[in-house]
Amino acid sequence: MSRSQPAPRSQGTPGPALQWLAGWWQIIHLGAVLGVLALSASGRQQARRSGLAAPLVRASGPMLLGFTLATAVLSLVVIRIVIVTAQSYGLSQYALEMVVRVLVLELIPLAAALFGALNATLPMADEVASLRRRGQFQALQQQGLDPLAMLVLPRLLAGLFAVLLLAALSCAVTLVLAYLSAHGFSLGGFDRYTRTVGRVFSPSVTLIFCGKVFLLGSAVAWIPLVTVLQNPAGRRSRASAELQGLVRLFLVVLAIESAALVGNYY
Amino acid sequence: MPPTDPPPDTPVAADLPAVPHLQAKASGLLLLLALLVAGAIGYLLYARGAFEPTQRLVLVADDAEGVTVGMDLTFSGFPIGRVQHIELSPEGNARILIDVPKKDAHWLRTSSIFTLVRGVVGNTNLRAYTGQLQDPLLADNAERKVLAGDAMAELPQMVAAVRELVQRASALAAPDGALAGSLANLQAATDQLKGPRGALGLVMGNEADAKKLLTTLDRTNALLARADALTASLDKLAGKTDAQVFGAQGLLPETRATVLQLNALLGDARATLTRVDGVLAEAQGIASNTRAATTDLGTLRAEVEASLRKVQQLVDEVNRKWPFARDAEVKLP
Repeated sequence: MSRSQPAPRSQGTPGPALQWLAGWWQIIHLGAVLGVLALSASGRQQARRSGLAAPLVRASGPMLLGFTLATAVLSLVVIRIVIVTAQSYGLSQYALEMVVRVLVLELIPLAAALFGALNATLPMADEVASLRRRGQFQALQQQGLDPLAMLVLPRLLAGLFAVLLLAALSCAVTLVLAYLSAHGFSLGGFDRYTRTVGRVFSPSVTLIFCGKVFLLGSAVAWIPLVTVLQNPAGRRSRASAELQGLVRLFLVVLAIESAALVGNYY
Repeated sequence: MPPTDPPPDTPVAADLPAVPHLQAKASGLLLLLALLVAGAIGYLLYARGAFEPTQRLVLVADDAEGVTVGMDLTFSGFPIGRVQHIELSPEGNARILIDVPKKDAHWLRTSSIFTLVRGVVGNTNLRAYTGQLQDPLLADNAERKVLAGDAMAELPQMVAAVRELVQRASALAAPDGALAGSLANLQAATDQLKGPRGALGLVMGNEADAKKLLTTLDRTNALLARADALTASLDKLAGKTDAQVFGAQGLLPETRATVLQLNALLGDARATLTRVDGVLAEAQGIASNTRAATTDLGTLRAEVEASLRKVQQLVDEVNRKWPFARDAEVKLP
């Protein structure tokens, strides 16, 4: 198991493109190391020793209710607009399908990822940067422990879990709200609604959806944490590292979303 | 394995506030995510029809354009089947394989008709129609031809027809068209109606004919007046005739008396004829007797003729034996 150290800045003066590529390579490399740690027994054991429950609860618990309420209100507005517009054009039979596609397949996972990044993983990346500045990484290494497994991996898993939980809960709430908006408090339209949902979630769409949510969660958990590890401690300001992480996260999220759209609709 | 708290000597969470009921909250969150994922998987499997037994229906179409895997087969607007697969048959036709749940399969009968309709707006629709619900159920793996209807295909034809219609209407409504001419004639006719000669002038065309018509009307009125007088005279005549015919001394009572006399006369004539019948019967008897006598006379005549032939034969014999008046003469040519 490699004890990953923050990459020192090279003494030469490489061009911006090379710096950019080197930065991405470090992110990918650290991400792969964290992935190996997550999949290895020793890594999981060290993560458990450091405590998985606290980061998990801190990442998901505080924002769960707020995000669910916010997405419920946003979904209600969008659902109402779509249904009323579809009815005015005489296309109400397509309204629910459009709601499910737009909200559940596209908007809710994206919102969950961005919300999780802002409220869970960016603060956790800040914590990691703070711990690193205070020399706790070196202290762990002196004790013979891997700081990546002890400090970073629990937060990465917690960030991934937070995004998955937010997306799953909000999608379920949105599905319920869409049904209530279309059919009211009656079970009469359940079969037809279920059929519509089943038609939208074909095997390929379901596979792409699951893959997209997992990749979004991974990116949200991985990029901010790895970005703060990428720079030497104290070399850059905290705000600069967070901004850099945000930009990279935004690019990756955009790429995942684009790939999912291409997979679903082309 | 539940997560364990970090050892006290590790610096991991040294400056973070402790979370009350940490393990319970973490377990609750994990359980919530597990429930959501399991529920989503179960619901999607149910929505995709994974838990209900189905039977296969194969629809054969010339063109499967617009048909997608997962689209519904509807009956009376209700989805009763789902397209599972589309393939090309060896004959070059499209084979649409549809799974119909067993609970909905009773709507499909051997006489059911299947249509593939491509709308101008919206999806392509597969529809089933069953006219006779008493017919036998459609068997599993049944293969049916699907009737294709394409609203877009008929659109150019309809547009061409509408264009022709519009051209005809334009020609009709043109300034030199038939409609404009008719309207001008109608305007002229209306002007004539409003003129001094009115409708009569419009109908007759000129004033002379209209005057003739008025003269004819006057004469007709005079004729009708005379007819009235004539009718009055006829009434009087009818009264007199009634008195003459049906009065006490009229023609009819006398005729009735005459008829009575004629009846009596006819009775006398009938009696006379009866008597004549008797006379005729007697005459018939006499005639019968006479016919018998005539028969006897025939016999007598035959006998006389036989006697005469014998006398003739006798005379001839005497003449042959004794030639008293033989005129023997030899004539030379």
